[in-house]
Amino acid sequence: MKRIFYLDGQPVPFTSGQNVLEAAIAAGMARQIPYFCYHPALGSLGACRQCAVKIYPHDDKHPPRVTMACLLPASDHLQLATVDQEVHTEHRKIIELLMLNHPLDCPVCDEGGQCHLQDMTVQTGHAVRRYSGPKRTYRDQDLGPLVHQEMNRCITCYRCVRFYQDTAQGDDFGVFGSRDRVYFGRLEDGPLESPFSGNLVEVCPTGVFTDKVFRHDYARVWDLQQGPSVCPHCAVGCNTLPGARLGTLRRVRARHHPEINPHFLCDRGRYGFRYVTAAERPVRARLHGVHSRQDAVLRQVATRLQEGRSGFLGSPREDVQSNLALFALADCLHAPFAALSSPWMEALAQQCMALPQAPTLNDVEMADHLIVLGDLGGVAPMAELAARQALRHGARLTVLASRPTALAEAGDYRPTRPSALPDLVTGLAEDACLQGSRRPVILAAAETLGPAGVHALRKTLARLPANARAGVFQNSPNLFGAAYFAADGHTVRLQHALRQREIDHLLCLAADPLGSDWGAGIWRSLAPGLQGVTVLDMVDTDTVRAAETVLPMAAFPERDGLFINYEGRIQAFAPVYRREAQVPSWQENTRGFPAAAGGQMHPLGPPTPQYWLGRLAELLDIVKPWQERLTFYQRFLCPIAPRPDHPGILLDDALRARFEIAAAPAAAPVGTEDWELDLFRWHGGEALADAAAELQSLAPSRGLRLNADVDASFATLSGPCGRLRLPVLPIVGMVAGVAALDQEGFAQLGLHPGEAVQIQWETVS
Amino acid sequence: MSAYRGLVQLGLGLWTTLRQIGRGASTVSYPEEALKLPPRWRGRPVLTRDPDGDERCVACQLCSAVCPTRCIELQAGEREDERRYPVSFRINFSRCIYCGFCEEACPTLAIQLLDAFAFSTEHHRDLIYEKEALLIDGTGKHPHYNFYRHAGVALHGKDKGQGSNESPPVNGRSNLP
Ligand code: SF4
Ligand code: SF4
Ligand code: SF4
Ligand code: SF4
Ligand code: FES
Repeated sequence: MKRIFYLDGQPVPFTSGQNVLEAAIAAGMARQIPYFCYHPALGSLGACRQCAVKIYPHDDKHPPRVTMACLLPASDHLQLATVDQEVHTEHRKIIELLMLNHPLDCPVCDEGGQCHLQDMTVQTGHAVRRYSGPKRTYRDQDLGPLVHQEMNRCITCYRCVRFYQDTAQGDDFGVFGSRDRVYFGRLEDGPLESPFSGNLVEVCPTGVFTDKVFRHDYARVWDLQQGPSVCPHCAVGCNTLPGARLGTLRRVRARHHPEINPHFLCDRGRYGFRYVTAAERPVRARLHGVHSRQDAVLRQVATRLQEGRSGFLGSPREDVQSNLALFALADCLHAPFAALSSPWMEALAQQCMALPQAPTLNDVEMADHLIVLGDLGGVAPMAELAARQALRHGARLTVLASRPTALAEAGDYRPTRPSALPDLVTGLAEDACLQGSRRPVILAAAETLGPAGVHALRKTLARLPANARAGVFQNSPNLFGAAYFAADGHTVRLQHALRQREIDHLLCLAADPLGSDWGAGIWRSLAPGLQGVTVLDMVDTDTVRAAETVLPMAAFPERDGLFINYEGRIQAFAPVYRREAQVPSWQENTRGFPAAAGGQMHPLGPPTPQYWLGRLAELLDIVKPWQERLTFYQRFLCPIAPRPDHPGILLDDALRARFEIAAAPAAAPVGTEDWELDLFRWHGGEALADAAAELQSLAPSRGLRLNADVDASFATLSGPCGRLRLPVLPIVGMVAGVAALDQEGFAQLGLHPGEAVQIQWETVS
Repeated sequence: MSAYRGLVQLGLGLWTTLRQIGRGASTVSYPEEALKLPPRWRGRPVLTRDPDGDERCVACQLCSAVCPTRCIELQAGEREDERRYPVSFRINFSRCIYCGFCEEACPTLAIQLLDAFAFSTEHHRDLIYEKEALLIDGTGKHPHYNFYRHAGVALHGKDKGQGSNESPPVNGRSNLP
């Protein structure tokens, strides 16, 4: 039966547990009840007193009274009114009080045009300031490069603290002071530490917290071109809403996805987009390191391809369509192709693909027992945020990691060597900690777990109750998409062909085999056999700098495509804008006026990878077979591609089951006396986000992280592909005998997490 | 009866005409002779400066939002003293209809429709005015207003609490009642 109450005589449907305000907003009747402190993700507080309604009791004994809609549970046949003199007076007077000290800032306030306070003030009709006394003012704090503070504009709704302390469980931001001097900020000036600090901008209903990155290249929200996109910075695949103007990308906000990210984004997703505007981004075709005409560069690449001695390398950083286009081209030319740069990664991708029953982030929030393997927050921050919501609902948490991560501090931390993870995972089904839990969820950092660990996880999952779920996360957006094209031994074959001098040219799509991709050590040792490297990329990498020919690519918000996230969810993103530039000076501006004002813009945008590969197919005279193959594989792999604003389609289970490999991948044995390596990532680090200057100014310093007991200041690591000298950074509580290293370091040494390493210590006093 | 009425009407009309004979011509031989413009004349929009000589516009983009022909286009930037200003400001006068909406919307009294109106040229492109051509050296119709004196934001040289009608910053750490 549909349950309803009445607001101003109109029926409002509700579900049990909802409050009146929530139901009214859901029914599209928010205009009748102004509000501030209620937020769908933060709940009700009753702090602002703005959301008054009049309630008419069913009996005659009690007179009608005014109450707060956000604190009133919806119940059947409730009679409520807002068209009422008393309610109206309350609405007007409260907003007048909230505006008493409000500065005259709208023209220079970045919230203007998207300001909840502006909307509510206009809605309640408060137009003339009657108070003429002096206004209270505050001094602001410097909260780092991401969030700008302007405390004068605060209306004390407490949304910011509720988000920061309750939802994100950060502890370096809070509320201070008393009476009318209440202050929301940090104890001392300094960057906000939470990986979710950017959400303050979205939850604050006023301009107290605004986006500091957007601020420096600001445009009003009504001028922004926006479109549905998907975050390219990790495997979660949060939905985003990039906004651009005059051909440049200005900001990224969260876009509602009911099962992944209904409201929030992590800072990597919000601020990582600056790779698009980075000065070093390749935007013009290059030949031997010099900007050249597209045609000349393409001809050079075609000549290389015609020699028939080329290999092709795809990437989990690229979308499905582009990897497919590359695969089809390699297929036409009968050239070796690999989607992943290292055999280890290939095995990992296949194991992840075969793992069934990944939980949505919603499922994670509903879990009653969480087991986290490795540093989840450094890989996929929003997965950590979901885990924290489960903790708030009373879930138990066990963290198996080599160091006390932020999440480990909130639960039961079991110090674990990465090489021991596969065995521990196998034992989980019998572990006492899982007894009695009804909705257990296991979340893991894919690379820390390794192929053997993910394999063990699949076997364990089969022995756990049917509603147990396991999700494995990685920080490229399309590992599953790349795994499509990864058959066993592809990478080995490609490297073998290079070693045997069967090929001497490598065409890389968004791959960085000579820089920091997994397995880069091997590629670098093979580099002398390469006559030329061609790279298609959108960020500046070591491979781009070393390449013979560089074909710049459109960034993700500049084109369409498909990503497959950690659940196997195929999500589409749409082109949001075209990269263009205005002619700056007015003397030359015959064409420089933007289209909206009757002029034209210069399209400057680098083309899509499909365009480049299509042009190459043209030059090689294989357009028809290339297109035929493209269509064929496309139909086979994703017969129905979702639309960009669609919540996504899950990969076919039968297709995923084909990746099941019975035998466990072998892991190199590690002695208990050996030093072994674990992967260190931080919440802002990822191949694209690494080019985002503001975010990277917060990056932790580079070094080898290990137990504070070790008495050394430098360490020299040796691996099969090279040596690396790094400063030692002591971490309290880290497992003895484990050293955490960044991906670049792994690439240089040619090692993987959970493998043994030789370390020489140096002490500099 | 109706013939009589007709004659009276004719006579009145003739009288109106005859009355004007001694009054001289009211046609102005523009452009040789200057026009006398009424004070609220809406000519070409310009950008004015505040009484301290700084540009008034804070690049709030309200004028461009309200403009019915979408002929204003600007990009905001931040000066070293943290003042917002328009890095570029363009008006396409082939589209402007001199409605004055921008002036009405402008919260800083920066954009004003003053008295310039005769500026026809041969090419549309010459009617695209950039900031250099729009910014004048005076305060226009409003000699006294300076937005930043009233706003709550701090600038270099203007601390929090130094705006008009502001009390000095409170101590947000104090728990005293
Ligand atoms: S917070 Fe809203 S109302 Fe206040 S100055 Fe900013 S835009 Fe205006
Ligand atoms: S800073 Fe913003 S979110 Fe926090 S209490 Fe003030 S108005 Fe509310
Ligand atoms: S969790 Fe991953 S997908 Fe989501 S916003 Fe952060 S980086 Fe992007
Ligand atoms: S409305 Fe006034 S202050 Fe705002 S951009 Fe236009 S001219 Fe500048
Ligand atoms: S929204 Fe109900 S009191 Fe604030």
